[in-house]
Amino acid sequence: MSVIELKNINKDFGKGISKVQVLRNVNFQADRGELSLILGPSGSGKSTFLTIAGGLQTPTSGTVTVEGQQLEQMTAKERDELRLNKIGFVLQSYNLLPYLNVGDQFALVRKIKKNGNMTEEELRVLLKELGIETLLKHYPDEMSGGQNQRVAIARALYPNPEIVLADEPTAALDSSRVEVVGELLKQMAVQHNKAIVVVTHDLRLRNYADHIYQIMDGKLSQEK
Amino acid sequence: MFLALKEIKHEKLRYGLIIAMIVMISYLMFVLMGMMLGLANENKAAIDTWDTQTVYLNKNANDNMSQSLITSDQLKDKKLNGHEALVGQAPVVMKKVQGKSLKESAQFIGLNSNQYIAQKNIPLAAGRHAKNSSEIVVDESLKAKGYQLGDKVKLNSSKEQYKIVGFAKNSQLNVAPVVYGRLSTWKTLRGVAPQVVASGIISNQSEGANRFNDLEHYTANQFIQKLPGYSAQNNTFAFMIGFLMVISLVIIAVFLYILTMQKMPNYAVLRAQGIPARYLVGTTIHQAVILMVAGICGGLILTLLTTWLMPMTVALVLDWPLIALMVVVLILLGVIGALLPVRMILKIDPVRALNG
Repeated sequence: MSVIELKNINKDFGKGISKVQVLRNVNFQADRGELSLILGPSGSGKSTFLTIAGGLQTPTSGTVTVEGQQLEQMTAKERDELRLNKIGFVLQSYNLLPYLNVGDQFALVRKIKKNGNMTEEELRVLLKELGIETLLKHYPDEMSGGQNQRVAIARALYPNPEIVLADEPTAALDSSRVEVVGELLKQMAVQHNKAIVVVTHDLRLRNYADHIYQIMDGKLSQEK
Repeated sequence: MFLALKEIKHEKLRYGLIIAMIVMISYLMFVLMGMMLGLANENKAAIDTWDTQTVYLNKNANDNMSQSLITSDQLKDKKLNGHEALVGQAPVVMKKVQGKSLKESAQFIGLNSNQYIAQKNIPLAAGRHAKNSSEIVVDESLKAKGYQLGDKVKLNSSKEQYKIVGFAKNSQLNVAPVVYGRLSTWKTLRGVAPQVVASGIISNQSEGANRFNDLEHYTANQFIQKLPGYSAQNNTFAFMIGFLMVISLVIIAVFLYILTMQKMPNYAVLRAQGIPARYLVGTTIHQAVILMVAGICGGLILTLLTTWLMPMTVALVLDWPLIALMVVVLILLGVIGALLPVRMILKIDPVRALNG
């Protein structure tokens, strides 16, 4: 069974003549150990797709299932818990709290989610893999964009989510860093057995994906 | 608490300025309250030391003891019991006869030496009680102004000299030091007719209006509230303190609102990551409490320093139970102030995290 599955998703904004259909009959599924890439230009519905897949908003019609649980049947509180326990987000901006150093970004997760997080050893290994093990006392404004993005990836993986949803994770990075992040996301999927879903318009990430989808005017299609 | 403390620690200048503002406001509030109580005490301290429960004055005295004259006819031969005392009040100017020339405005209180106030209710700080009509006991605040035991003084323009034989504790009335003497002296100072016996009758027991039908009856509190300027002064201070409380509420609400607005993108990310809204609400309330407690502690330290450095002539009384109550009220106001940003936090749309 797929770890996340979207079936016949439609999402409309507005009513009457101002109604805009942002997603049209979208079907999608992702499995553990795979990196799925959703490519599309600005305004194609990528972010809306991600917010619906992550339970941040509900579709106008259709169903989202995460680990066998239908999101539409959950309360807001249950969806909060699901996001905390099962879904990791990597966002393009404001991902890290500016007044917490790297160590405290993980401590905050521990304060809220007491169990099921990575062990200290697992976290140490992850930080080493990401090359940020020496940055624990640094604040976000003391690090480069690439370092911040790697910390954000570690932060998303720390609670041991089943799924990682990444929104334009390479937006702030130069070409050499894009390769590093691409490798890293692929590695997270394979080595940590996560389902990684990346929405982006950065074509350079194609090489790392197991499945590539195109989204255009709210319609999702898989590349053969 | 974790996020609240971490943010305050990281944004020292920003939060330091807010705390500094709360320090100044709470300091001003504590000092104003101290002054209010100090001045209230200087208005009524003597009345308190007499254990006053009931006061009788002439009906035409307009609630003012120094304007009141009670005649023997008004008493209708009623004998005063052991809990009642005749009191004669007159404002006087006291002049030192020997040595350095000193002049002081005071309130003369004439007493009958056989009645309860003269016998039991003049607590002495030094010296002894008066034994005859040429001896007086004065408020101890006059000691700091250069008066000593054994000094001879004149009252108003009388030729008679009076010897200071004792200093009384806490004996002030109408914001002036009290000079205790005999009723006969009071009569001389006021130049009243022979049938006038006193300004008023004070009782240390709760008595009814029908005890002396021809006199106006007051409870102690009614009498104190009608002391000249007493209520107006207290109301002015109370208004200032209340207004400062409202200002502190507005400050904490506005600052937390602005700070929360600035943090909305971060909070949206945290909400997207599944951090419950109640955790963020708790963080904001904790921040408000931390800011208020830190500010109030600073205000208290400044208040204590002020009382330590201030000359004794400035009336400042710190009433710790009242200060504790004020501290609780201020912290509650801080929490109320935090409710405005809390509303914003509860309405955060986590979708904003992706839309920037």
